[in-house]
Amino acid sequence: MSTLEVRDLTRTFGDLRAVDGVSFAARGGMLTGFVGSNGAGKTSTMRMMMGVLASTSGDVLFDGAPVTRADRRTFGYMPEERGLYPKQPALDQLVYLARLRGIPAATARAEALEHLDRLGLADRAKDHVEKLSLGNQQRVQITAALMGRPRALILDEPFSGLDPTAVDDMVDLLRGHTARGVPVLFSSHQLDLVERLCERLVILRGGRVVADGTPAELQETGTVRHRLVLGGDAGWVRGVPGVHAVDVDGATALLELADEEAARRLLAAAVERGTVRELSPVRPSLAQIYREVTS
Amino acid sequence: MTTSTQQPTRLAADSSPGRQDEGTRGAWRLVMQREIVTRAMNRAFVVGLVVSLVVIVALAAFFAWQANRVDTTTVAVSSDDTAAVAAVTSADELAADEGGNDEIDVLEVADADAARRALAAGDADAWLHPGDDGWVLAGQGEPGGSVERFVATAVEQQVVAANAEAAGTSVTELSAGAELTTEALEPDAVGEQALFFATLALSFLFFAGAITSGNMIASSVVEEKQSRLVEIIATAIPLRQLLAGKILGSSVIAVGQNLLFAGIGLVAVSASPVSMALPALSTSLIWFVVFFTVGFLALAALYAVAGALASRAEDLQYTATPMTFLVMGVYFVTFSASGAFLTVLSYVPIASVVAMPARVLARDAAWWEPVVSLVLLAGFAAAALLVSERAFRGSLLQTGGRVSWRQALRPQN
Repeated sequence: MSTLEVRDLTRTFGDLRAVDGVSFAARGGMLTGFVGSNGAGKTSTMRMMMGVLASTSGDVLFDGAPVTRADRRTFGYMPEERGLYPKQPALDQLVYLARLRGIPAATARAEALEHLDRLGLADRAKDHVEKLSLGNQQRVQITAALMGRPRALILDEPFSGLDPTAVDDMVDLLRGHTARGVPVLFSSHQLDLVERLCERLVILRGGRVVADGTPAELQETGTVRHRLVLGGDAGWVRGVPGVHAVDVDGATALLELADEEAARRLLAAAVERGTVRELSPVRPSLAQIYREVTS
Repeated sequence: MTTSTQQPTRLAADSSPGRQDEGTRGAWRLVMQREIVTRAMNRAFVVGLVVSLVVIVALAAFFAWQANRVDTTTVAVSSDDTAAVAAVTSADELAADEGGNDEIDVLEVADADAARRALAAGDADAWLHPGDDGWVLAGQGEPGGSVERFVATAVEQQVVAANAEAAGTSVTELSAGAELTTEALEPDAVGEQALFFATLALSFLFFAGAITSGNMIASSVVEEKQSRLVEIIATAIPLRQLLAGKILGSSVIAVGQNLLFAGIGLVAVSASPVSMALPALSTSLIWFVVFFTVGFLALAALYAVAGALASRAEDLQYTATPMTFLVMGVYFVTFSASGAFLTVLSYVPIASVVAMPARVLARDAAWWEPVVSLVLLAGFAAAALLVSERAFRGSLLQTGGRVSWRQALRPQN
């Protein structure tokens, strides 16, 4: 199991602190999702992890030691705005990019053919990449990062623009790598996807980490709400001290309770007025947590 | 995220020696191989190459035909006019002596009317007959060109000989000591006109090779930058290796193309009447290829930076403009330069690529001159490579808009 870690990573562009003291770890065997709005610093962080962008300060560590060029050569990387050589066959460029990373030609060729076969592109291996559909081009790009049993994967928006089936295929591939104990860090805008896939989640806002943990851990930290279902109209709950009504719809209300005392007061008042069908805590969704931590 | 203004960025690991070279030392070879193969498979490049070769061969064939064809002129004379027959016959001998391609035939006709009919029918090109005051060479139009010259000389010799005899002397006596013989001190020297065309050809070889292969390396750099492939490559190998591979790859193409053109050109020359210029031309071409090889290394490095400064292919027309001016400038200046100016140019790096071989061809340069000039050029190339390597690393990974040379060379922050 390897760990890819950043410690106090900072990058300034003029007066702008694009990445501001970011620390987190992507652990081996896990998919770590990297979430944040545009301009939050995700791409800059990933570029610094890969050594493509110089950091202003801070460290990138691989298994506890500062990451070297030789380490990075064994990482699979997929940059954000990407492309391939449009006029070169998919097979040739997969082999070329792998050979640059020191993988022997024959090994690279065999592995590339295997990948293309799995993607259903075996018969298009010799076609120029520009003749493939955009989705297939993107699969080839992800494949380029996966060649040669990488020791870590850093993928910037790998799934954007892929249809759900393609996403599942790619996730299966990534799972194959986490099963080997490899840390996989990927950024995404698609929260539902991240929630479904990731064992761990890092949320960035304005260049800082605002949340870091497993989805369950993050849900603990989010504001717990309660749902109250009554026999009759629930409009009166707005008047109860210590109770904040997020939403009232007929007999159902979504509430934030200030403390235990407020809960007791609410329940007593409800029982006095008639039937109480339900009063239960509601686990916040990741989307809700995301909005809370990034707002 | 995308940041619109990013400052110079260098690979953190690039500055720390040691493990970074592990296994990446030969990476330039992979890059070079890819550059060459991609180029050789490019249809536009191959078509351009074939068209150029066809044009060279066609031009050579045309000049060879032009040089070897025989121009026969038929001159009509009255069969009873022995003096005219003799004049035309000796005109033909004069033409043959000169070694040109002119031949003059005699067509004997019955009388003046028959001669006019022969002219009208095209059987004869001219008609020589005695006039009121000397001789007349008549044609349908104005009989001109070399025929007139040969016939005039022949007639003059004949008349002078007759007059000399009448005066009791001979032509030999009259013209004793007035003979002018020519002697070529360097029998294989290249004529003035051939020299001009050869220099023009050298300028053009330089221009075509530098512009096409220079733009090839620039667009190949920007292609990788635009697609962010360069970020993947940069994590795999040092950028220095990438630059070296690209420079060498495009140099192989550019020099190979020029060798091919020059070889075809030499073959064409050897088959032509100016083949005596072959040794001088070969020496000059060998110097040209050597100079071009060294000079192109510098140009390729600078073109690579032009590619790295751009952020999209469209930016190239701005970032590569100084290079285009440099190459065009060298092209126009060298093929029109002469004398002291050419001598100066033959020591100015890049311009010397054309100017020095041109001087060698003109036998105007001492043996050490190309050597000194080559050393200067090599020094310039080394400096260009050093600066370019720095600017390349300083700009290649910068995203968001064009980068200036100043930004590219700014020390790492």
